[in-house]
Amino acid sequence: MRLAEPAGLAIKYSEKLGVDEVEAFAQSVRTSEVVIERGEIQNERVKTQRGIGVRVIKKKRLGFAFTSVLSKESIEQMCRNADSLASVSPPNPDWVSLPAAAKLPKTPLGTFDADTADMKADDVLKLALKGYEGAKALDKRVAIDEGKFSVVCGEAAVANSHGVEAEGRGTLLYGYIICAAKDKSEVSSMTFEYDITRCLKDFSPERIGRVAAERAVASLGSKAVASFTGTALLDYDVASDILLQPLAASVNADNIQRGRSLWAGKLGEEVASEKLTAADDGLMPKGIGSSSFDAEGVPSQKTRVITDGELVGFLHNSFTANKEKRHSTGNAFREGYNVPPRISVSNLVVKVGKKRLDDLIAMVDKGIIVKRFSGNVHPDSGEFSGIAKQASYIEKGEVKYSLKETMISGNSFQALKNIIEIGSETRPTMFQAYTPPILVDKINVVSK
Amino acid sequence: MIKDLLERSIRNSRGYVEMRYHKRDTFSVSVKDGEIDALNSGSVAGVCSRVLLEGSFGFSSTTVVEKENVDRMLKDAYSLARASRAKKKRRVRLANVEPARDEFETLVKVDPRKADRLELVRMVIDTNREIRASSKSIVSDTVRLGVVDDELLFVSSEGAEIGQRIVRCLGVVTAIAREGGNIASAVDYVGEEGGLEAFKKTPLIEAGKTAAERAAKLVKVETAPGGTYSVVLEDKIVGLLAHEAVGHCSEADSVYGGSFLADKIGKRVASEKVTLVDDGRFPGGFGTMKYDDEGTPTGKTAVIEKGVARSFLHSRETAEHFKVVPTGNARAWDFEFDPIIRMRNTYIEPGRYTLEELVEGVKEGFLLKGGLAGQADFNGEFMFGTQEAVRIRNGRLGESLRGVTISGNAFEVLKNTDAVGRDFAMQIGMCGKEQQNYVGMGGGSLRTKLLLGGMR
Repeated sequence: MRLAEPAGLAIKYSEKLGVDEVEAFAQSVRTSEVVIERGEIQNERVKTQRGIGVRVIKKKRLGFAFTSVLSKESIEQMCRNADSLASVSPPNPDWVSLPAAAKLPKTPLGTFDADTADMKADDVLKLALKGYEGAKALDKRVAIDEGKFSVVCGEAAVANSHGVEAEGRGTLLYGYIICAAKDKSEVSSMTFEYDITRCLKDFSPERIGRVAAERAVASLGSKAVASFTGTALLDYDVASDILLQPLAASVNADNIQRGRSLWAGKLGEEVASEKLTAADDGLMPKGIGSSSFDAEGVPSQKTRVITDGELVGFLHNSFTANKEKRHSTGNAFREGYNVPPRISVSNLVVKVGKKRLDDLIAMVDKGIIVKRFSGNVHPDSGEFSGIAKQASYIEKGEVKYSLKETMISGNSFQALKNIIEIGSETRPTMFQAYTPPILVDKINVVSK
Repeated sequence: MIKDLLERSIRNSRGYVEMRYHKRDTFSVSVKDGEIDALNSGSVAGVCSRVLLEGSFGFSSTTVVEKENVDRMLKDAYSLARASRAKKKRRVRLANVEPARDEFETLVKVDPRKADRLELVRMVIDTNREIRASSKSIVSDTVRLGVVDDELLFVSSEGAEIGQRIVRCLGVVTAIAREGGNIASAVDYVGEEGGLEAFKKTPLIEAGKTAAERAAKLVKVETAPGGTYSVVLEDKIVGLLAHEAVGHCSEADSVYGGSFLADKIGKRVASEKVTLVDDGRFPGGFGTMKYDDEGTPTGKTAVIEKGVARSFLHSRETAEHFKVVPTGNARAWDFEFDPIIRMRNTYIEPGRYTLEELVEGVKEGFLLKGGLAGQADFNGEFMFGTQEAVRIRNGRLGESLRGVTISGNAFEVLKNTDAVGRDFAMQIGMCGKEQQNYVGMGGGSLRTKLLLGGMR
């Protein structure tokens, strides 16, 4: 069954119930995954999640309901449910309207991969085994603790009572391996390495395993360093957590309008080092967050947020855009059919610099390189603190030794201003950011 | 009936087969800055089967609970078990569990299924209003109320037939304060397993006040310093220590992996003040169920008793491997997942000190309040976030600072725990270990030494 069918049914039936506006979002996601535990294939799962969510509006009153059963009876029940919720809900005076129909751009290239869609459970198992072998083959001191390889094939349809009708599909491969190295009585810190791609031919489970193992071995023989404030080279994932997550929260128009962002009213001001340029690009070829339309059926686009350190734009859905009488930037996002849309980045792309990782290390007089961060980041205030895992001490441009029991702390917004250099090698992170490693100054390095 | 359908499907099947039906009804209200986001209600249902054939598990699920689909799902589970067998080194055997035929229901006084939704909406709006009124510096807040109503059915080829209904009520409040160029946020939770009376026992407004007062206080102050300090953890965050530092390392699957507790059963791993329990029946606890998702009855498992390691947390599989009785810790998030070893309600038993006495014993350190996200590695290195750090000098409480992430090695932290308070709080939590699940985390306030990842 095409998903446009149940979505269309929900629109028609809700209209019959007398609502002012209605929007339906139907989704079907097939996931095949293999779980590795304690260095062994633990489990294989094939699951199909299907469902539909409906948002109805009556005199500025909003109701939302969902169901995992796509039968006519179940959809009608869901619509009556949403309608009765809207009836008891207090009105939201800021509500203007659901988005109007608009011409959609072409589907971004490389978001659906037939090879990935055709994969069977057994093919996913082969990927997992390759990842496993990649780690095992590197060094016999490496012990794999956990891993998971997932292949996802999803479809979604959005429709609303103003004529929006959008349908799309996509594929995703995701895999991670967690391992540690054990040498005599020493156990290294645990490494976590992963990758996410749209297409099978871009996905290398061997690399995930190899890198996880390399990092585990490299963090053996760790020493503590006395606390200091210095330069920190943040690897992809760490840069994404510490710098880009607060950046994304701060350009989220909902946070801006609600006074939750320190960047409210700062459009045109210098908020980061001039080295930093970042944009949200919902149309990037092969982007893990790319689609021709967002979760409200609004056309996706590229929105500049930071250009040479200057704050140049915010990310909107139709609700925040209507409040300011402007157009949505196509950043409505849903975690699933069972929740209403909120604002999120699609692909937050950091413009790459010219220096490779080794060149960045060579720039550091006294500092650390951090490859995994286990901690907390306050996206509003920008305060962060946590354990620097797979971290090494750098002195006079050279990596000296790996660190143990070391924490880092600081403020993300100050760190954005203290960016010294941006690397040249980029990759996607779990936060849907595409970022190279980033070198920042004045980070607190704290040890026992 | 679903039960008959599932029982018919597993009759005469090969090896061991279990099926779980799970229907999850949810209702939530969220109010942002006085305006309602959307009232949300819905239902997800499905069934899964797990088979054990010649030592190899196979698992499959479906959302269509009809004969044809259930039969196909079972066939898929068999073929996955067969296909992956050659690639698995370990042959699974299950510890014996008496197949139960039983019904269990969370004690519900005010049934959410019959709730006046308007009344719930009003409660959220009122909470929101009070937060706004509490301080000028509060610029934004979000109040969310949720009810999760689970209907579970477990049947197995061994003859088990267990029906459970588990109802959870929760509220989350975040408050944001701004003053000048500074911003600070705070979050607090209330809730328990039970009906809507949960919001009478632990009112949403209490969470609202805690979050609002904290945000308004923290917006004016600096961040705590970094370094190793003597600390007192308030009862509301001791559960995070119990869960992150110890609990994960006592899960028998991470014991296989070589957790720091692996060879410690019967040995001293903590100061004698520490008794750490994982309890599947704690009244109102977010992880309370009479049976786990393998049909094993739950109970109270002492992980550490007066400083000595006593037990790991087991599934039927790991219990057989370690030759012990299964503890009922195999849990699944929903029908799309096979059960894995999870904590239920993990807590450190209260001691005999008052909070004042705990603080008196600290020369220079902090009282840490309010929890944030945490993580643990099986080598015993753990971290979790704190929201507020109240300075202690010469046994006296001083000014509040912004909390930071703290870390430590479980072994050292447990050995350094020299006093546990007589107070006790059980908190609700979400734990994400491969798949997520609801857990309870609790304890009495305690005193130990930790590394604060603060400013220099």
